[in-house]
Amino acid sequence: MQRDRSGPTVVDPAYDALDTFRRSAGLTREELWLRYFELGGMSTALELEAFLYGALVPTDHDHDVVAHALNERFVELGGNHPVPYAADGDRG
Amino acid sequence: MTVENPPRSRFGVTADFTGGQAVLAVRGAVDAFGAPVLGALIDASVARGYPSVLVDLAEVDGVDELATSVLARAARRLAVADGGLTVRASPDVVGLIRSAAGLVRWIRFEPTHGRPGFVATEQPARGPGSRAGVAQSNVVDDLLRMRAVPFDDDAVDGVLRLVVALARAAVGGADGVSVSLRRRGQLSTVAASDRTIQEMDKAQYGTGEGPCVDASRRGRSFLVGSLDDETRWPAFIPRARQLGINAILSTPLLVADRPVGALNIYSRTAEAFTPKDRALASVFGAEASTVVTDAGLAVTGDQLADRLGAALRTRQVIAQAQGVVMEWEQLSAEAAYDLLRDFSRGSGRPLLERAEDVVASTQGSRSDPVAVPGSAPRIVESDRGREQPADATGSQRTDCG
Repeated sequence: MQRDRSGPTVVDPAYDALDTFRRSAGLTREELWLRYFELGGMSTALELEAFLYGALVPTDHDHDVVAHALNERFVELGGNHPVPYAADGDRG
Repeated sequence: MTVENPPRSRFGVTADFTGGQAVLAVRGAVDAFGAPVLGALIDASVARGYPSVLVDLAEVDGVDELATSVLARAARRLAVADGGLTVRASPDVVGLIRSAAGLVRWIRFEPTHGRPGFVATEQPARGPGSRAGVAQSNVVDDLLRMRAVPFDDDAVDGVLRLVVALARAAVGGADGVSVSLRRRGQLSTVAASDRTIQEMDKAQYGTGEGPCVDASRRGRSFLVGSLDDETRWPAFIPRARQLGINAILSTPLLVADRPVGALNIYSRTAEAFTPKDRALASVFGAEASTVVTDAGLAVTGDQLADRLGAALRTRQVIAQAQGVVMEWEQLSAEAAYDLLRDFSRGSGRPLLERAEDVVASTQGSRSDPVAVPGSAPRIVESDRGREQPADATGSQRTDCG
C-alpha cells in the first residue's frame, strides 16, 4: 500500500548499512549508544539514532566511533570487523 | 539502496497525556501484532490515572477483527473505571468496528473524513487538545522514548501480561505463568496468571531460593520435573507443595546477555512439561526478554546505573590514553583516537584494553609490553608494527567482556 507521506528519505547507503549492522549485532539502539558513549562518543542517544536513520550526518570521526562500537560487538560474537571506517575511505 | 524513514505501515502509537484524557494516535496496521499492544497501552493509561482514552485511528492502514474486539473489551474496562473510550476514525472504520464488536455500546465514536486502508494526505484539522509537541513513539520498537510521556513501567507490564496470557494458553502443561523482573534491586512479579502463581513467586523471593530466583540470577533455565525428586531449594519446595504445585520451569529474561528476571511456568502435574513445552518456554522467555530489552533501560534501572558507571570509567581510560598518545605523537585529539582505534582493530582486542596498555605504560606497570623501552613516543610505532592487517585476523574470539 502506497502512502503519500513525506518524510526523510535516506539515499546514502552508509547510514542504512550502520543500522543494518546494528541489527545483525543484536544491539538495541540504546545499547549501541551506551557502547558508543563508552568509547568516547560525544553525541546524544537521539543524535545517534538520527545517524542510524540518516536524518543527521555524523562527522567521519563520529561515524568511526559508531563503527568501532559495532565492530567490537562483532568481535565478541566471534566475528571480525565488518563495519567499514570512514578513515579508510571505504565508508558508503 | 534507498530506504524510507519512518518505514511504511509500521505499527506505532503516539501517546499524549497532556489533556484530561489519554490520546493514543495509532498508525500502521492494527493487526495481530498491533492490537494486543494497543490493548496493553489502554490498560497502562488507566493504570496511570487516565480512564478516559481517545484512540485515534484516522491514520491507520487497516483494522481487523482482533483490533475491534480489543477495543470493545478495553471500552468496557474503561467504563468500569469511570472513564470511557472514544474512537476517532473514518466512517468506514467506524462501521467496521460497529459491525464486528459485540460490546460496541461502550464505545463513543468520532467519525473523520478519511478512508480506511489509506492515509489521506490532508488530515482533518485536529481539535483542541491535539497532539502538538508530543514526542513520537513507536511502541515495542522503542518503548524507551515512551518515558517522555508517563508510560514507563506500566506499558511494559501490560505487554508482559500479554506474554503471560499467551504462554499460559500455548504451553500444554502450564497451570499458571508469571514474569518476575528485577527492579530497584528487588525481584518482583510484574505479571501472573493468578494469585496462586503470585504466591509461588513470593515464596521464592521470601526464601531467597527457587528456580525463579536462580534463573533470574544465573541467566539459565531451571526445570523441576517433579517436586518429589527435588533436592535443591529445601526452604522453598515445601511451600510449593502446600500450594499444590508439582512441576516448575523457569526461563531467564536477558537484556544484553544479562539476566534481569524470569518467565515462570507452573504445573500441578508432575512431569507435565514436554520437550515441546520447554521449547515454547524458551520462545516466550525470548519474547519477554525482547519486551524488556525494547523498553530500553527503564526497567533495568539498577543495571543502567552499573552500565553507565562502567561506561564512564571506560571513557576516562580511553581519554587518558588519548592524551598520552597526543603528547607522545604530537597528534590532534581525533588523530590520537584514530591511532588507538587502529591498535584495537589490528589486534582484535577492545579499545579499552589497548587504552589501558597505553595508560599503564606511563606508570611502568604494563602487563603487556608494547613499548620500546626508554622511548615513549615509539610505543605507538612499535605497537603498530606488530599489528596484523584487520582483514587477516580471521574469525576470532577475544576474551573481552
